Amino acid sequence: MVTFETIIDNIGRLLSYNPGQPMIFSSGTFWALFIIFMPLFGLLRKRLWQMVTFVVAFSFFFYYKSSGWFVLLLAATSLIDWTVSRLMVRTSARWKRKTLATLSIMLSLSVLGFFKYANFFLWNWNQMVEGNFQPLDIILPVGISFYTFQSISYVVDVYKGSVKPTQTWLEYVFFLSFFPALVAGPIVRADYFLPQIRENHRATHTEIYAALWLIIVGILKKAVIADYIAQYNDLIFNNPGGYSGFETLMGVIGYTMQIYCDFSGYSDMAIGLALIMGFRLSRNFNFPYKSKNLTEFWRRWHISLSTWLRDYVYIPLGGNRKGTVRTYVNNFLTMLIGGLWHGAAWKFVFWGAMHGVGLAVHKATMPLTRRLPDVWPVKALGWLVTMLFVSLLWVFFRADSWGDSWIIIRTIFTDFSLDYLEPFVTVRLTWVIMMAAIIVAHALPARWVDSLSTGFVRAPWILKLAVFLIVVQLVLEFAGEDVAPFIYFQF
Amino acid sequence: MKRHGYISLWLLLVAAFGLMAWGSRYEKINIFGHDFKTASIFEELTLPPQLDTAVRSQSLIDLLVRWIPDTVLTEEECPSLVPKFPAEVDTTAKTILFFGDSMLEGLSPRLADYCKRNGHKLYTVIWYSSTTEIWGRCDTLSTFIRRYKPDYVFACLGANELFVRDIKNKRKPYLEHILDQIGDRPLLWIGPPNWKEDTGINDLLSERLEEGTFFLSNGMKFSRKRDGAHPTSASAAQWMDSIVRWMPGHCLHPILMEMPEAKGRPDKLILLQPVK
Repeated sequence: MVTFETIIDNIGRLLSYNPGQPMIFSSGTFWALFIIFMPLFGLLRKRLWQMVTFVVAFSFFFYYKSSGWFVLLLAATSLIDWTVSRLMVRTSARWKRKTLATLSIMLSLSVLGFFKYANFFLWNWNQMVEGNFQPLDIILPVGISFYTFQSISYVVDVYKGSVKPTQTWLEYVFFLSFFPALVAGPIVRADYFLPQIRENHRATHTEIYAALWLIIVGILKKAVIADYIAQYNDLIFNNPGGYSGFETLMGVIGYTMQIYCDFSGYSDMAIGLALIMGFRLSRNFNFPYKSKNLTEFWRRWHISLSTWLRDYVYIPLGGNRKGTVRTYVNNFLTMLIGGLWHGAAWKFVFWGAMHGVGLAVHKATMPLTRRLPDVWPVKALGWLVTMLFVSLLWVFFRADSWGDSWIIIRTIFTDFSLDYLEPFVTVRLTWVIMMAAIIVAHALPARWVDSLSTGFVRAPWILKLAVFLIVVQLVLEFAGEDVAPFIYFQF
Repeated sequence: MKRHGYISLWLLLVAAFGLMAWGSRYEKINIFGHDFKTASIFEELTLPPQLDTAVRSQSLIDLLVRWIPDTVLTEEECPSLVPKFPAEVDTTAKTILFFGDSMLEGLSPRLADYCKRNGHKLYTVIWYSSTTEIWGRCDTLSTFIRRYKPDYVFACLGANELFVRDIKNKRKPYLEHILDQIGDRPLLWIGPPNWKEDTGINDLLSERLEEGTFFLSNGMKFSRKRDGAHPTSASAAQWMDSIVRWMPGHCLHPILMEMPEAKGRPDKLILLQPVK
């Protein structure tokens, strides 16, 4: 017998913080909450401050649901940043402004360092002094890497005078805690986002349905494809050397596509949700696996992070203004920091460092490669070399240890046989179809993809509903009982 | 609709959610012969929160003690060591029907070794990818019981339903039908070799099966095959050995199970393909 109390209890449970179950955009709970959120947001849209307050409250709840009482840390961070920024504009002395900015940045980095890197540094320290390492019981707040980078960029921009500090804390916390981008980016920049708050743009019909299309594509990529193909890839990476070279290679290619679908799918959903609310977030992925060299790859992959690193690490280090060698060194250091940002482990440092080396090599060989004719075999070779390099480094990124990475790579080269192709396709047909689908979709010309979006916007309402329902049903059909957590949450 | 983008989008989301919520009242929806999965909205809202039961604790202690050779516990320190069924072992030769899922691939050869040594007949029926629902929805088991007339039934089922939500409610009728088919024949049900914590299949079996007829495999350590689920043949043989060691004193119907000296094989091995 269903009782009213049971339903209320269950709703309370669904809305409470549950460690290990962060609220993601493709979940039913978020969908239901967004249905409640939308009309209230629409009603408050014209009243700027009521709308801002409402969205901040919703964002805080969203963060509470994902990270519990770390929401207070978010509030405190925003309050300190905002206070520092207000103090900076009231101070004319340059050294005072610099001190304030430095203090704020140090504080942000200290908080990030404690939660994300304390155990990593302790472990390394103990390795050096041969002590007994006892890891601290630290829980990483979801999305802290993303909002810390946003807060640093805001303080730096205010210090440099390129961004005017917000008049109110509410505006700033709206920017920092904006729920579509809060836990997994894109990393929002103050100069781009803050003016949009007062602009109070109402999304047009076209924008709303283009946004829904983005969300649908994001759900397909994240909740259908990435989560499904992850099941096989996990088998390979959890048991390195336990499979044939062919199967291992498929696992590596699978992970290459999985991480793209997972992360870009979530970014698509975030951008779509923001657009429905009338806010534009910058594009985060632009068909990265079409890149024909590594520099191009980093212009297309996680764009909000790479531009952040360029503006707040690479250029302050001197960029390309201090000679060729320093340019390479700066590139290398920037990528090293980028690697460490992804996680507190040497494998991420190595991954970042190797990308730094790759970028340096590409820049060094540019005088030669520019002389090559612009014909398709050359382009294809460039693409192949880039993909091999990127995919190979994903092995180090994903594998649990350095040793596992080498076993996986060695297995591919020493135990490879095409005899496995037929049984592989037979047994894992759905996996193969999904991989083929995402590779073909990725290879499509951008204008075709755009025309699909346009077609969806122009389609009758009932057709849009049908498409949405089909995608949701696909999620149900393919969902494992144990949903793979979103890869970038812990970064 | 075009002028009211927000309203039309909101209506779309509400309509889709409503349809999914309505569909979630059913476990599956059959359209043109295809079973479509449904969302869990209805059960998330209406089912009382699951309470953890402590049914597995006793057997788990047994297993842990067995897997830690240096541990010497007295029966007072560990009450579960006290034999629950100090009944005499039935030394007559048995006709055993062993049915279940693909886990039998590993268990059955070792049980066959025991059967050869102790004079039992063994009929093994492996239904790949089967569950309590699949066996409980049909009378296949009755067919084999009529055909082979077993006087002892071994079962190993549950590995394909470790993560089914609300399993206690969903699978209970099927389990009842399986038990009805077995009737009053002596039974030993071997629980699934969990590779992750289950959502209640072990609790369901522990609660429903008579004490001494369920062997909890959860908590045991296995070497597993590449798929990460099935124990390797060596590990599955050790699993069977553990069951045999457990039987005297803990099994409701212990039978003669002297340690085998040679390889045996089932008198009949029947393989059933997965249900499509």
